[in-house]
Amino acid sequence: MIRYQGGSLEAFQEIYAQLAAGVRRYLSHLALGSEIADDLLQETFLQMHRSRAAYNPTYAVRPWVFGLARNVFLMNRRAARRWAAVHESREDLPEFPVLPEADRLGSQDEIRRCMAHLSPDQAEALLLHHEWGFSFEEIAGMLGISAAAARARASRGMADLRVALNNLQRARA
Amino acid sequence: MMDRSSNNQPQALKPPEALMRAIAQDLRPVRPAPQPLHLALRMVPLALLVSSVVLLAIGPRPDTGILGPLLTWGASAAQFLVAIVLIWIAAHEGTPAGRLPRQMVYSAAVVASLVVVFLTLLTFSTSPGSETLGVSVWIANKTVHVSPWIMGFACGIGSTLFGGILVLFFSWVFRNSLATRPTVAGALYGAGAGLAINAGWRIACPLSTPWHALGAHGAAIIATVMLGALIGRSLGNRGLHVGSRRS
Repeated sequence: MIRYQGGSLEAFQEIYAQLAAGVRRYLSHLALGSEIADDLLQETFLQMHRSRAAYNPTYAVRPWVFGLARNVFLMNRRAARRWAAVHESREDLPEFPVLPEADRLGSQDEIRRCMAHLSPDQAEALLLHHEWGFSFEEIAGMLGISAAAARARASRGMADLRVALNNLQRARA
Repeated sequence: MMDRSSNNQPQALKPPEALMRAIAQDLRPVRPAPQPLHLALRMVPLALLVSSVVLLAIGPRPDTGILGPLLTWGASAAQFLVAIVLIWIAAHEGTPAGRLPRQMVYSAAVVASLVVVFLTLLTFSTSPGSETLGVSVWIANKTVHVSPWIMGFACGIGSTLFGGILVLFFSWVFRNSLATRPTVAGALYGAGAGLAINAGWRIACPLSTPWHALGAHGAAIIATVMLGALIGRSLGNRGLHVGSRRS
């Protein structure tokens, strides 16, 4: 990021190559599978470019870019007033990420269905920690909550996910 | 630190041509942003200068002897410190990976309000004077006749104007802020500007009564908070209409 701030195009390409896939999946999660995730991904990197002077090297790049992606998503949501419309389509989630830890608990389809019923806060903390590997301190900085609250959200999310999966499997049996 | 979850990622993506063109158009080197604390400290000199203008113009209040240095200068220094803390929190709000817990943000706002109320009441209890007497002493020095109501308007409008200048300066410094909640960030630096101005203003203002201090000076702080919130919101919404570009 420091090389990029110094004007290196190759450095930007490296950052994009390392982060774009993860950021896209995160945006897809935030937008609940909406196609707008691709636009938001480009907007995130464009915004990162415009705001590259706002980056301070004491912060890790990855949470900074993910935080920026969240910011872009929220701003877009505010501008477009799409929140209600996006939530109405919660049942159709084409690209909802599946937790590696939860993989053994059920099929991908079952996990997707159960994840969709978690509260948005819990699902976000759960995915940021288990899917994208952020520490609770990094999640706290991105979401504006304490590290303990981030841990609690992820842990409650995982517990609720287990319960929902058990209920679903029992109902099917 | 770049990517700990690379084992989870499918494959590296290449940036689209349009994005690369936009990036390549402007690759001038930039200086990294300062840390939130450094950013807040950089604003101290101007905030000090603007907040002392009234004090330098009309001098300290006539009852500084009764109040003592601690309640005159010490209390204002404490209020100024709270203002800097609010600006520091606003700077954190503008950093995507460095946001502080919400409880801390709201607690700071509550503490700042309590500090103003507490100092107002403490000042009034130490040197209540009488409203008329206080104004008379001030009038004796200035040879003008003013009623407490006019004093109230003068303090309210005056501190709002000076606070507004500081808010505009802070808005310029925070113009590239990446706040998730730009209204909150703007309100925070607006509150910081209001408190910084009031820290200087309270040493110059001859009236101690709570209705004046909270009504006029407090209203000016609320006005700067609202101005900061409005500017923060408009800056935050600038140029982020992603969906509208879609074909």
